[in-house]
Amino acid sequence: MTHARRRTLASSLITALALAALLGLGSGCAANAPAYQREHLVDRIMSFDADARASARKMKTFEAREGSTGGVGGAGGGCACK
Amino acid sequence: MKHGCAPLTTALVLGLACLATPGRADVVSDGSTLNSMVRYFVDSGHVTVRSLINDYALPLEGDAALTVHWNNEHVTIPAIQAPVGSPEAIDAITTASRPISGNAYQDYVKTRNEFEGSLTKGPAAVDGYYSIEEDFVGRQVGAHYNRDLMSAMNLAVVGSYGWDDIKPLPDDRTSTPPSERTTKHVSAVGTQILGPASLLRYGLELNVVDGLQHNPYRNVFAGGTHVPERHPDHRERRDAFVKFNQYLPNRSSMKLDYRLYNDDWGITSHEIETDLDQYITHSFSAHYEYRYYTQTRAYFYQSEYATVNGVDGYLSGDYRMNVLSSHLFGASFHMDMDALAASHTFFGRMAVWLNYERYFNSNNYSADILETGLDFHFQ
Repeated sequence: MTHARRRTLASSLITALALAALLGLGSGCAANAPAYQREHLVDRIMSFDADARASARKMKTFEAREGSTGGVGGAGGGCACK
Repeated sequence: MKHGCAPLTTALVLGLACLATPGRADVVSDGSTLNSMVRYFVDSGHVTVRSLINDYALPLEGDAALTVHWNNEHVTIPAIQAPVGSPEAIDAITTASRPISGNAYQDYVKTRNEFEGSLTKGPAAVDGYYSIEEDFVGRQVGAHYNRDLMSAMNLAVVGSYGWDDIKPLPDDRTSTPPSERTTKHVSAVGTQILGPASLLRYGLELNVVDGLQHNPYRNVFAGGTHVPERHPDHRERRDAFVKFNQYLPNRSSMKLDYRLYNDDWGITSHEIETDLDQYITHSFSAHYEYRYYTQTRAYFYQSEYATVNGVDGYLSGDYRMNVLSSHLFGASFHMDMDALAASHTFFGRMAVWLNYERYFNSNNYSADILETGLDFHFQ
């Protein structure tokens, strides 16, 4: 596959994901849970934010050893050279 | 200061100081936490990084909170492991990813200090970042805002601006002048409750990087000689991710993550990660993880360059620009001491944890990461 085709494919995939996310926003969360049923959702082992510090440390490690970045919902920082 | 960002940084620091002053928001006497950890990293090239990381969170009145982060790192890049004057030594020196000045047959050691502060007030937050080491200064300011759109949906938007100074140390083989780099970041992240035991998070991120983006100490073999590495000065990096968390009936949870990344250097990558968390007792839990990563190569990367002009004027000896795949396995254990709270109040406020990760990739590179930490709740 050529470089240009790979870029087009990747851009299309990202656009598709974005559209899927927007559709999710507009779906109204029909299957959501009332407040009294959210006990499990606030457990430490279900938290996205409890993993945030570990995710940020891992992202810095991977940035110095791989060619991509992102995926933790925030910006990175620091020098990517060893 | 460069880029006219000094006023912005000053305003941020003053803002943090003012908002943290009792006159504006009285400090609540309880609820603050201190997290301290030691991290030890060693890879197959015998590079070691020892990190001492401290995070302090202080709740303030009026739905506000202040967090402070400090990371002190000690990095050791080993001496060239080859006889003086041998072809192996010459090759290692000319393509070294560390400054070579005088004696290359001794370890290169540097210290890095990193500071971060953030102030959260309701749905909004501002943060600042400063990192300093011998040949690099990094700074970043950012803002974050989130809003509940429906009873089970939250949308967050993040923006940040980073500006770095890179001042390469004297090097016998390269002579890169002091350079700068800026990073502009925006992202949008949605978090959705799917049901009483299911959470979904998804997001889009864009990073635009301008300035020096190659290793100032590395040379590349091209056209029969060694020439300094050279990457493009502009890079647009975007990614989309989805994270799904499911609570399971036996007091455990399973997490599935996927990330798609693409940039204008031609790198496209896919990442999948799965995590399993399990309570073994009321206060003791285990965590297991696996991550797989694969990427395509940058358009200008070649294992050999026929001329010193490389591809479109760019040359790279950085294996991160090549086709690559990697695996990571990890396990960690977390223990709350709250069972001791009745008899030992002090210990009852603590949690301890231990984490081990094993990373290896298709470039014959591997690394071991060991972390241990202590969390303390002051009240």
